[in-house]
Amino acid sequence: MKKLLVLVTVCLMILGAIGCSKAPVGGDDAKLKVALCVSGPVNDGGFCAGAYEGLLLAEKDLNVQVSYTENVEITDIEAVFTDYASQGYDLIIGHGFQFGDPALKVGEKYPDTKFVCTNASAKSENVASYELGGKDGSYVMGALAAYMTTSNKIGMIAGMEGPSQIKIIEGYKMGAKSVNPDIEVLYTFTGSFTDVAKGKDAAVAMIDSGADVIAHCANQAGMGGIKAAQEAGILATGNCDDQYEAAPDTIMCSDVWSTPGLIKAAIQDVLEGKFVGDFHELGMAAGMVDIAPYHDFEDKIPQDVKDNIAKLVQSIKDGKLEVPSVSELTD
Amino acid sequence: MEQIFTLAFLTSFLSAAVSTAIPLAYASMGEIYSEKAGILNIGLEANMLAGAFCSFAVAYTSGSLWMGLLGGIVGGLAVCMLHAFISVRLAQNQTICGIALNIFLLGISSYFLKILVSNNPAFPQVATFPKLAIPGLSAIPLIGEALFNQNILVYILYLLIGMSQVLLKHTQWGNSLTAVGEHPRAADTVGIRVYRTQYLAAAINGMLGGMSGAYMVLAQLGVFTENMTAGRGYIALAVVIFGRREPIRAALAALLFGAAECMQFRMQALGIDLPAQFMNMLPYLITMIALLGSIGKQRDPESLGKPYIRDAR
Repeated sequence: MKKLLVLVTVCLMILGAIGCSKAPVGGDDAKLKVALCVSGPVNDGGFCAGAYEGLLLAEKDLNVQVSYTENVEITDIEAVFTDYASQGYDLIIGHGFQFGDPALKVGEKYPDTKFVCTNASAKSENVASYELGGKDGSYVMGALAAYMTTSNKIGMIAGMEGPSQIKIIEGYKMGAKSVNPDIEVLYTFTGSFTDVAKGKDAAVAMIDSGADVIAHCANQAGMGGIKAAQEAGILATGNCDDQYEAAPDTIMCSDVWSTPGLIKAAIQDVLEGKFVGDFHELGMAAGMVDIAPYHDFEDKIPQDVKDNIAKLVQSIKDGKLEVPSVSELTD
Repeated sequence: MEQIFTLAFLTSFLSAAVSTAIPLAYASMGEIYSEKAGILNIGLEANMLAGAFCSFAVAYTSGSLWMGLLGGIVGGLAVCMLHAFISVRLAQNQTICGIALNIFLLGISSYFLKILVSNNPAFPQVATFPKLAIPGLSAIPLIGEALFNQNILVYILYLLIGMSQVLLKHTQWGNSLTAVGEHPRAADTVGIRVYRTQYLAAAINGMLGGMSGAYMVLAQLGVFTENMTAGRGYIALAVVIFGRREPIRAALAALLFGAAECMQFRMQALGIDLPAQFMNMLPYLITMIALLGSIGKQRDPESLGKPYIRDAR
């Protein structure tokens, strides 16, 4: 009985920690063969799900043959990449900055295979990095916050310090200052993208020091910032997705990123022979970043503000205004 | 810098520090009972996560915060009893079991969350316990706001800290608990039921750990997210040692950590020119320094982490 209990317990524990499934889909030699590697489960409803959605979109619209591996740990990246490359895949996509260095390494051994990494900076003959231009969205959110603040102090909750985060923060600052040069923009790194409680603590600290609009670029941790804004009865803006449902009376707008679009665009580039081993940033002008509807704030935001924001978005989309890419923190 | 020494800043800072310290104080108080009885439960993180998930699941489906709290307590209890069963009845390695539980709960809580909210992917959340200002006391300058304008779970914690302090230090039962943790065979020979005491201590640990997780969901954040405890269970273990296994001291140790955490965010918000990574490190650095400071001032219970096998010689 004792042994049986231990066995059952152990089995349950193993179930809890299960990972790594490989699922080839379809099969036809003439098609472009594309493999996607993600660090978490493809049904995480967020980061990895977006990439998977893009892969399926490409399969449907671009007629490519796709396969994917989920829950790829950093230590396994090289092995998984090598595995796909040796199987003759034409394009291997790693979703996340950690895939950059292994792509360069494996890319050297398989020069005929193309590698694409998201949010990374790796580039070589056959390795390219694609990143969403989050700075375009944060620029617009910064401008909106600057119109709506009454204390002239706004804040942004960020995750971990790194070039992609800094570009977003600097975009936010520039957007705010384009409306009001005297505005004070606070920012805080929580040191985590997942710790919601930290995000809240960080936002409470900002609110206590006088900020009255809170933005974030810290994924799940940022949701804590929105909670803090909601409790304090101030405004917030969402990020990545249309997050208004999280706090309809608090979130006046969100900037929306299309991860599926980014993955599909990368595949399309390879398919059409436009692949360049370089760093590509796709933002509003490429249709990968946009802003969400105002929802409940439709009537609460003055019409002239909405007009100005619409004009701003249009000028970025048209390429008339290019948000500078600043990857070092100013001040 | 001068902004730090205003009354308004200090008042809001203390208030935030108390809120941040509460989950640690709950969890560490539970661990004190367990360790006093000789069971080293590294699985505190699992307790908290189970409490957080179950409180969210119950509150989300029933719409009642109090039912949610009950769910959290039961969730923490269940995980802790599994740990107790393996470490007391099966006499297995307590540390390994605790770590296994931590990993297991991380996986299974995320998995169940997906099942729970699969038909509603858009920001499932629950209401949170409102703040209740205690008339009179909450008007005390500086500390009134921090200590007496909090939610009900904080006041429950105050009561539990007081009760635990008396129970552990000044009652027969507290002495029996200590005896079991120090020398279970001696305790056994004088008629203390060792296993029963250990199970009871584990049950208290589980319930308090569950409340710790429930506090994060039902009072702090209103959501459950994957790995939301994010290592707080491990910090609570340090708090227990720094607090020398005394409830009031441990609560103060938790407050120190909470204060460090809130201070680093305030320093960042004020734009103090230090690297963000250093600021993020600050609470953990202070924990380590505090632990170094408590070297030699205390002694672990003699049988901590050692299974007691009654029939062995």
